[in-house]
Amino acid sequence: MPTIAITLNGERREIPAGATVSELLVIAEADRQPVAVVVNENIVRPEERPSRVLQAGDQVEVLVFAGGG
Amino acid sequence: MDSLRLGSYTFSSRLILGTGKFSSTSAMIEAVRASGAQLVTVALRRFNREQAEDDLFGPLSQIEGLTLMPNTSGAATASEAIKAAHISRELSGSPFIKVEIHPNPHHLMPDPIETWEACKILAAEGFLVMPYIPADPVLAKRLEEVGCSSVMPLGSAIGSGQGLANSEMIRLIIRESKIPVIVDAGLRSPSEACAAMEMGCDAVLVNSAVAVARDPAAMASAFAKAVEAGFEARNAGLMARSGAAVATSPLTSFLGAAS
Repeated sequence: MPTIAITLNGERREIPAGATVSELLVIAEADRQPVAVVVNENIVRPEERPSRVLQAGDQVEVLVFAGGG
Repeated sequence: MDSLRLGSYTFSSRLILGTGKFSSTSAMIEAVRASGAQLVTVALRRFNREQAEDDLFGPLSQIEGLTLMPNTSGAATASEAIKAAHISRELSGSPFIKVEIHPNPHHLMPDPIETWEACKILAAEGFLVMPYIPADPVLAKRLEEVGCSSVMPLGSAIGSGQGLANSEMIRLIIRESKIPVIVDAGLRSPSEACAAMEMGCDAVLVNSAVAVARDPAAMASAFAKAVEAGFEARNAGLMARSGAAVATSPLTSFLGAAS
């Protein structure tokens, strides 16, 4: 299966070519709680994730809420 | 007890709790419940599969009547804070944002210029903007003018436990402000929270003092009582100070008269 390289939370990662944001979340095991997703500085809303296909070189940030004051 | 009004929201509790530095998520949740807080702060972090228990969204959403106030911690500039605010709103669904911009990790003092810039833009975008600021009455007024929902001057440095080191400046902010004034950062003890409320603050934001207590839930409860006591005392009207003693018992000297 052909793969492409993206950056996920600052680390290089190989994913299947044609993978969507939703599929990336499953691969990264980040599909079990609400997360925010940012691709190349743009927020990708939950309803856009199944159709948003990732491209080689995309910078992806997956974010959650942690403790903070 | 009058409600705390922030934008279109009203809260019966005037204690806002931070969720950082707790030993565990369960200790944090217990403290939130014990505090009666209806507004709690959270911070954005990168998802980490190995630290899935760090995700607080699920546990906090189990508490009824709780509103999240994400902060922009980690931002050193206005544009970073604005980016964090947009991402946070996406995740929280809450219009509240605590604008926290501190470029220097040693003292964590807020950058007033970047803070003002970020607040102006975020307030125009419809956020309920709650800036963490140095205790500066001029800056507080400028932030009110650009549409902030409150100002949150620091009592003393974040996590320092130095209490109300800036109390005279905070008094000036309270006197001039038409929006709620919330002391944020530096409080160590419930008596300091009580003093902040007596002096006229509308609410108090506490994190470290509760999180690092031996019994965080008990400390959260103690802070809640102190905040209520201070607010009630202020509304009851504190007596004026006098330079000399003023007797509380009659000085009719009847004992002397009988001898």
